[in-house]
Amino acid sequence: MTGNEEKTKKERKYPELYEKLIPCVLGIIVVAMLALLAIAVAVALKLLPGVSY
Amino acid sequence: MNLFYALLPFLSSIVSFVFAVLVFRRYVARRGIHLLLWGVGMVMYGLGGFCEAYYGVFGWNPLVFRLWYLFGAMLVAAWLGQGTVYLLAKRKWANGLMIVLGLASLYGAVRIFGAQLDPAQMSSSLHTGSELSGRAITTPGIRSLTPFFNVYGTITLVGGAAYSAWLFWRKRVLLHRAIGNVLIALGALLPAFGGAFSRFGIGHALYLSEFAGAVLMFLGFLRATTPMKDLEERAPEQAAG
Repeated sequence: MTGNEEKTKKERKYPELYEKLIPCVLGIIVVAMLALLAIAVAVALKLLPGVSY
Repeated sequence: MNLFYALLPFLSSIVSFVFAVLVFRRYVARRGIHLLLWGVGMVMYGLGGFCEAYYGVFGWNPLVFRLWYLFGAMLVAAWLGQGTVYLLAKRKWANGLMIVLGLASLYGAVRIFGAQLDPAQMSSSLHTGSELSGRAITTPGIRSLTPFFNVYGTITLVGGAAYSAWLFWRKRVLLHRAIGNVLIALGALLPAFGGAFSRFGIGHALYLSEFAGAVLMFLGFLRATTPMKDLEERAPEQAAG
C-alpha cells in the first residue's frame, strides 16, 4: 500500500458495520467462486456424478 | 400446472426485464458499452425466465426450449460478464474478448437450433422433468460448450463485482458502490450454484436461485447507483472524531 493510500485510509472510514462486513462477505464470495469452478472442472472431467446442465 | 414452476420463473423474468429497462435508460443517458451489454444480458436473463414459465404453464415446445437453452443456460452469464470486462479491462482486451464471445455465441446458436431434442430425457435420471434441463438435447457436443460460457461469465461477472467492491472498500470511498457490488456478486453467484445443485438432482434449486439472483443483482444495481448521503458524509466525521 502506498503512502497516499495509507493516509487516505486513516482519514476515511466506513461505518463500523460495513468496515467488517464487506471484507467478510467478499472472502465468502471468493471461496464460493473457487468451489464452483472446482465443481465445473470436476464435472467436465467426469469426476463427479450428476446430470449435465 | 405446478404454480412453483410457473410463477417463480415468471417473477424472475419480470424483475429481469424491469432491471434491463433501467440499465438501458442509464445507457442512453451516460453511454458506456458495459451498460449496453448488461442490458442485453438482463434481457437474456428475462427470456430464460419467460421460457421456464412458459414450460411450467403450457408444457414442452421445441422453440421455447431452444431459446431457453441459448439465452438462459448458455449465454446470459457470459454476456453480463462481458459488460464487466468492458468496465474494468483495457479496451483492446475487451474488444478482443467481445469478438471471441460474439463468434462463440453465434456458433452456440447454430448448434442449438440444429440440435436433435428429446423431452423425455428431462424426466430421466435425477430430474423429474418439472424444470427445463439440457438433457433434452441429444446431439452430442452441445451441452459441453455451456460450461465454457458459464465459467467465463462467473469469473468476469462475480470476480469483477467483487474486485470493484474491494477497491472501494480499500480506499474507503463510495460506500453505496461497495455494497452494490457485493450484492451483484452474490446475486450472480446464486444461479451458478443453482445450476450446480440442479446437476445433482436437487429439485427447485435452479428456479429459486435464478429468482433470488435476479432480485439481489437488481438491488445491487439500485444500491450502486444511489448514493447513501447520510452515511457517506458522516463517515469522515466519525474518523476524525
